[in-house]
Amino acid sequence: MIRRIEINYRGVFQKTLARQVASDLVRIAARTGKVGFSNGRYSDAPERNGVPCKYFVFISPDLSEEELEAECGAKLDIDEADISIVLDDTMVKGVEPWAWSGIRPINEKVIEGGFLLVVSNKEVGELMKFIPKKEYPYHLAILPGESSLSGLWVFHDDLTHERVLGAMAGLDPELVSIDAVESYLRERTKDERRVAAAVEGYEWVHHRYKVVSPEEGIDWPHAVPVLPAWTEFREGVAVPAIQRGFRLGPRGQSRSTIFRRGTTKTMRPVIRFDLCRKCTLCWLECPDECFDPTPDGRYDVDYQYCVGCGKCAEVCPVNECIVMVDELRFDDDSSPWEFWNRDPQGYVDWAEEKKGAMRQKPLVVTGAGPVVTAPGQRVPARGVHDMTDQEVSR
Amino acid sequence: MVTPEQNQYEPIKSVHQVPLEEFYSSGHRTCQGCESALTMRHLAKAAGPRTVVTGSTGCMYVANTSYMTTPWIIPWMHTQLGAAGASALGMSAGLRALMRKGRLAEERINVIAFCGDLGGGDMGLSGISSALQSNYNLLIILYDNESAANTDIQATGLTTYGAQTTFTPPGSAQRIMQRRWKKNVAGMMAVGHPTCRYVATACATYPPMDLMNKVRKALSVGGPAFIHTFCPCPKGWDYHPRYSHEIGELGVRSGIFPLYEVVEGQVRYTYDARKRRIPVREYLTKQGRFAHLVDEDMDHIQQMVDEMWEKWEVPGVAPFKGPLSEA
Repeated sequence: MIRRIEINYRGVFQKTLARQVASDLVRIAARTGKVGFSNGRYSDAPERNGVPCKYFVFISPDLSEEELEAECGAKLDIDEADISIVLDDTMVKGVEPWAWSGIRPINEKVIEGGFLLVVSNKEVGELMKFIPKKEYPYHLAILPGESSLSGLWVFHDDLTHERVLGAMAGLDPELVSIDAVESYLRERTKDERRVAAAVEGYEWVHHRYKVVSPEEGIDWPHAVPVLPAWTEFREGVAVPAIQRGFRLGPRGQSRSTIFRRGTTKTMRPVIRFDLCRKCTLCWLECPDECFDPTPDGRYDVDYQYCVGCGKCAEVCPVNECIVMVDELRFDDDSSPWEFWNRDPQGYVDWAEEKKGAMRQKPLVVTGAGPVVTAPGQRVPARGVHDMTDQEVSR
Repeated sequence: MVTPEQNQYEPIKSVHQVPLEEFYSSGHRTCQGCESALTMRHLAKAAGPRTVVTGSTGCMYVANTSYMTTPWIIPWMHTQLGAAGASALGMSAGLRALMRKGRLAEERINVIAFCGDLGGGDMGLSGISSALQSNYNLLIILYDNESAANTDIQATGLTTYGAQTTFTPPGSAQRIMQRRWKKNVAGMMAVGHPTCRYVATACATYPPMDLMNKVRKALSVGGPAFIHTFCPCPKGWDYHPRYSHEIGELGVRSGIFPLYEVVEGQVRYTYDARKRRIPVREYLTKQGRFAHLVDEDMDHIQQMVDEMWEKWEVPGVAPFKGPLSEA
């Protein structure tokens, strides 16, 4: 028998976290006489900031190490998971991995009676707005918490790691018991704070998960791309370029139609077009070409391609004109500029409602976590503010 | 064979004159806030549709064009690590031959090759050097994110002194493992290649439009040209992607990355750090890769930067210290 666990996480930002959860699950299983094995999804490395990635953990009470490894070696993906852990809740909107396989549902691999464990401060209903139906019942458990994002060199050690380990014991005590988690953490870290965090995670999810019945969830809106068969490949590796095409207005720039990667974002820019001074900086500085120049000299944004880096909000010289907002507050990717043109006041009200009263301002170094401030408190954008004419190349 | 007419580009004098159309479009796999991707976008935008691009292995190959998808609208070809120079030369020679034989209409087609700091500044130097000695029209762009970023941030010859990388993690016995000073590739190209018509350094975000104008100058001048761009990397330098512009701007304004162009033997600073520089500490303290540095290390880096601007024979470009010694 093999128990399969997948850990969905944001590439690089949660790599250390996911790896620690995966390797600790294997170590704890080994301490209780089971055999464990963990690896990263084959196509994820080299990970890029924000791109959804996976770690896998395989645990067996009866197979030998060789047999387990033969069964669970490096794979593009697994077919089914007893437990899918989701370390960042915005991934419930779908995950488009690096390899060209389309935007996939977060619960795609969960088996009948299996668990989807999401680290989130949202309610069940807020998450179920995005998760598709399955043909059979499974469980949804929410471990309350901010999604813990850090960097390649700086780990944001906010005890999410220990809380997830505890939650795993809460969901499947046969896989790992809370006693085993506690004794492992106590022995390894000699830090009672960490043990307490694991117990807290355990108590939160233990018997407090929800059964998701087959009628619950949405109809999945994204198509799965049809991959070419090997007989269809042309000589050499030639990929058709994107067709040239540009016109003013929403979605006027031709873009890749088969890889969009909008699921990379955890926040999206909300634009107050009425405040826009047409300085062009959001468009000029966007590394993902997702702004569309409009006939009125403003810039629409195509959220299908926006990866939520926040550069536009940072360089925008107008206070409150571009603000980054939690991705889970949005249901679709339609053009905000068209909405604003249709109904200017309605759009402004909608935008302010989405923005809410508080602003997240991340600290510069990723591992340090975000700072929440009230609106209006922000660092002025940097741009042409202190250059003489000679310094700007002509 | 007469070289076809050079493209004469208009300089971009204001942000409102920047061409609206993209030739490197959305749908790439780069990191959030990737400045190397912005460099690609701006070079394609500045060069326009009659351009072919070739790129050696690195982030801008793997993150852009793997798994049967591409963000390029203009033709793009992958070449091996270290082969940017040879690839540009071959492509340019091929186009010239096809035009001479009448198989292609005679027109100026821009050939741009890009390489990363590992693929160009370390492995590819000999190929770039030979391309810059040719009489073909080509532009080589070294996008410098100061690491082998594609394979999870290993140190290269262009990594800043003191930075943490996968190869140079700070330890308890040795705090600083990256002990090499950054290789001065643009200076090397400018000083060593009399046939090279244009050498420049640039940053895609600061000053605005600077990179696009340099690309246009390089393509207008004819003959081989070389541009070294400064590309902050949120993943490897460890800062929040939101601050990509700011990190680039601080790097330029602190003088740690000199901005200049060399045209016909004349150096022109496009950000004159001789006149004023912000403390390099402001740049260093905003990146996780320098989190382990102590005051003493920052002072050392400041001293090296000051020396570059105050003591070099050609500040920021050529590190000879005049006057000549007696024979």
